[in-house]
Amino acid sequence: MECKQAVSFMHDYLDGDLPSEQARELKSHLDNCFECRAAFRRLEETEMMLFAANRKSEAVSVSDDMTDRIMSFLPQPKKHNPAWNWVRRHPALTAAAAFILIMLGTSINFWNADNQLVVRGSDLERVQVAGNTVIVPEGTTVSGDLTIERGKLEIYGEVEGNVTVIDGSAYQASTARVAGQVKDINQAFDWVWYKLGNIVSEVAYRQ
Amino acid sequence: MDNLETRLVKLALKGDQRAFAEIVDLYKDRIFHLAYRMLSNRHEAEDVVQETFLRVYRNLDRYDPGQKFSTWIYRIGTNLSIDRLRKRKPTYSLDAEIGDQDGADGYALIPGDNRTPETEYMISETRTTIHEAIDDLPPKYKTVMILRYLQELSLQEISDVLDMPVTTIKTRVHRGREFLRKKLESQNH
Repeated sequence: MECKQAVSFMHDYLDGDLPSEQARELKSHLDNCFECRAAFRRLEETEMMLFAANRKSEAVSVSDDMTDRIMSFLPQPKKHNPAWNWVRRHPALTAAAAFILIMLGTSINFWNADNQLVVRGSDLERVQVAGNTVIVPEGTTVSGDLTIERGKLEIYGEVEGNVTVIDGSAYQASTARVAGQVKDINQAFDWVWYKLGNIVSEVAYRQ
Repeated sequence: MDNLETRLVKLALKGDQRAFAEIVDLYKDRIFHLAYRMLSNRHEAEDVVQETFLRVYRNLDRYDPGQKFSTWIYRIGTNLSIDRLRKRKPTYSLDAEIGDQDGADGYALIPGDNRTPETEYMISETRTTIHEAIDDLPPKYKTVMILRYLQELSLQEISDVLDMPVTTIKTRVHRGREFLRKKLESQNH
């Protein structure tokens, strides 16, 4: 065994993890090598001194009032709200829930944002508006769809597309003729479905 | 693993302040000695102790009971000490050494059992040599040597505390030991 290898073994021995086979090799080397024997003795002494110098040698000790000081430093005990713990453990679900809440929140906000009448259609020139009432006069023909939000619709003439009334009412006179469907949406929930339906049909349409 | 610390942590998490005070009592001296050896400054060491427990308290809910509590708290204390050591101005450690010598804080005044003044002097001198030599080590060796010989952690525990492979820790202990051996030899000759 080379002396360099022996020194490495000595350190492992002092660490307490030199396998017994290597320990025997080290011993037979030490029996034959005076230099290494001396080096080993010095290392052993150093190891002993290191533990001795540090063990219980600390006359300096932490201030007596340290515990009290630390306890007074501590922030007020955290209220470990179980709901909050749940949130911390399920970040993905929390994010999803927050997303849905925000979506619903904004939709509902839109739904009752104001009381203004909204009229949408492709042929609004033939439509009369009086207050919050929209009138399709007798004898006129509105081409395309007609959508009313937050208002009354009175149809005396013809509509060639679908009629949608959101949060309002529709009145059809006996002379009225609607080529498409008449939809009456009064609930926020319906309205959301209507919006979703629009998105879906738009997507479908684009494809 | 349901040992004393784990039980205390559980109680402290439920808001039991006395349980946390118990944890402080269990570890304040160990953390103080660790920081004191690292920084050679009493005031800074006490700061580290306070900061360590504040962090422990704030992060109690993140303590993993599968890990030894001592490993966790040593890691916090060691990192805080290393941070301070790194932030120091180069002249600072010199000031600290002058103002906070081992002799000055009452070390040599502690009477040993049946020791003559001569042997007492020899021992305290060797001790001073060792402490100074450890002080001179670069932080990465210093930390390992303090954890090994002052805190008497095993190589595996040091590797857990520092989050480094055991082989790295071994190398550092070996080099630190060689360095100390040379220091002690030069003192004796």
